[in-house]
Amino acid sequence: MRIKTQIFDSIIFGFLFVGSIFLVRPPSEEELLNLPMNTMVTLGCLALGFALSLALNQMGIKTLGESIFEPPHKKAQNTHSWYKTFWGWQMLIAFLAAFSAGIWVTEFSITEILSEEGFAGAQRIFSSLLTPNFEILPRAVLAITETIFMAFIATTFAIPVAFVLSFLCAKNIMGKTTPGLILYASLRTLLNVTRSIEPLIWAIIFSVWVGIGPFSGMLALLLHSIASLAKQYSEIVECVENGPIEGIQSTGASSLQVLWFAVVPQIILPYVSFTIYRWDINVRMATVIGLVGGGGIGTMLIQYQGQALWNEVGCLVLVIAFVVWLMDTGSAYIREALK
Amino acid sequence: MSSTNSSQSPLIQVKNLVKTYPNGVRALKNISFDVYPGEFLVIIGLSGSGKSTLLRCMNRLHEATSGEIVFKNEDITKTPSSKIKFLRRRIAMIFQHFNLIPRHTVLSNVLMGSLSRTATLASLFKFFSAEDNAKAMQYLKLVGIEEKAHIRADQLSGGQQQRVAIARALTQGPEVLLADEPVASLDPATCHNVMDYLNKVNKELGITIVCNLHFLSLVRQYATRVIALKQGEIVYNGSPKDISEDWFRKIYGEDAREVHVN
Repeated sequence: MRIKTQIFDSIIFGFLFVGSIFLVRPPSEEELLNLPMNTMVTLGCLALGFALSLALNQMGIKTLGESIFEPPHKKAQNTHSWYKTFWGWQMLIAFLAAFSAGIWVTEFSITEILSEEGFAGAQRIFSSLLTPNFEILPRAVLAITETIFMAFIATTFAIPVAFVLSFLCAKNIMGKTTPGLILYASLRTLLNVTRSIEPLIWAIIFSVWVGIGPFSGMLALLLHSIASLAKQYSEIVECVENGPIEGIQSTGASSLQVLWFAVVPQIILPYVSFTIYRWDINVRMATVIGLVGGGGIGTMLIQYQGQALWNEVGCLVLVIAFVVWLMDTGSAYIREALK
Repeated sequence: MSSTNSSQSPLIQVKNLVKTYPNGVRALKNISFDVYPGEFLVIIGLSGSGKSTLLRCMNRLHEATSGEIVFKNEDITKTPSSKIKFLRRRIAMIFQHFNLIPRHTVLSNVLMGSLSRTATLASLFKFFSAEDNAKAMQYLKLVGIEEKAHIRADQLSGGQQQRVAIARALTQGPEVLLADEPVASLDPATCHNVMDYLNKVNKELGITIVCNLHFLSLVRQYATRVIALKQGEIVYNGSPKDISEDWFRKIYGEDAREVHVN
């Protein structure tokens, strides 16, 4: 509890100190790129923040970190209005600082949005998009078919792998023994890493491996689907009711029988529902993956966009929007019916 | 009844049983008692007195911390995990919340009682022997719901589900039936119906029953012997007729008043 509080407050205060330095003495372009120097400054600020947070704790002033991480029974006693507390102001100031920094970093500019010249350019593209060239429709239909099947195959191959992994990644199944817990933790970490690497990056890796085309895109989707499905599946497994498990156990059934008869019937419908949703997501992702040569309609899209053929792009966008809408609606209806 | 039983040798001997949960809760503190063949032994006590823990130690759903449970000359607290399925086949159990598989049919639920006799692979495809199927139907008939055999279990009322659970337990061919608060989530009328079936199992099939109960009126009607638990210790062991007002207060606390189920 204590250490979480300190780390949280150190980051908040450290961030405010770094921000103040920027305000007091704006760094030059050259200084901004000096990573070792900046790391030192940031670490120094964090250390200062840590010291400040310790000092505040000593003085008995409740910081934001403390109020977040304190145990529930203490939270129940808080009756002060937030603006009468230190942590309330700490939160407000930290948010305002982050907001202003964000506005500055993203180069937020009202004048650019309202610039007539820029708007005219966007308008030109928009009007071309809105007058699509339907001559390429036959090819677009073929390409989107490829995309849908890419998503379908990726989902299908991911199901059995994710199904098995889901039990190995469920804490209520694996958490009872030490080797089980180790396997659980390492698999979870592996899947989290896989999932946090965007399918776009995987597609680039696989297109080098197996060549540009739908196969590399499918492999990228497959990997991402396995990681995502295994996580979602395992969360369902973690929510199963213990009653039927005890019931089957008490008949003298083996562990596999318990899994099959007590756990599987409880998880099968949510599994189907998540799987259909995953296919739906994969169709949308396959489009993006096509942009880096993963095949399907995305590849077509990047070709026409590169040549600034906006009328053709308009046709593709329409086809994509139609299919995504269809999948989205269909999968929502099916998932609703399965509940 | 209990006097005739005590001349026989006990079927189960619980000796100095202790169960301490990992969080430090001492659920059972040095419990010793015997269960005689053919008994309808009822265990009473407040929620948290250790009744459920005691039953779950008797079929190894929970592991005892120390002490012995001797079932037919075998200390079952030391039964290796590979043999537990044979133990559970002989000591069946039913539960407060029935613990059926809601999406399976009644018959399929009853057939679960044959799982430990069926090869794992065959069971996954529900290839149960004709004998097991016949047995399942026979016990469904015994609890009076054979006409519901092909209905999904979650379509049944609570009392009917508990009867399916009894049939599932009987399909195991057990010598002992543990019943953990079998009527606690049922209405009073259904209560008696389910208790009557348990009584039938006890009297007609000669299966020994160890049953956790809440209601004293049910205890007087069905039990052949009563054990009362309070905070993990036995405070009463004897005939249900002898539970007086004083004993009742001792078991349930000074302010307790008896509630009748009719």
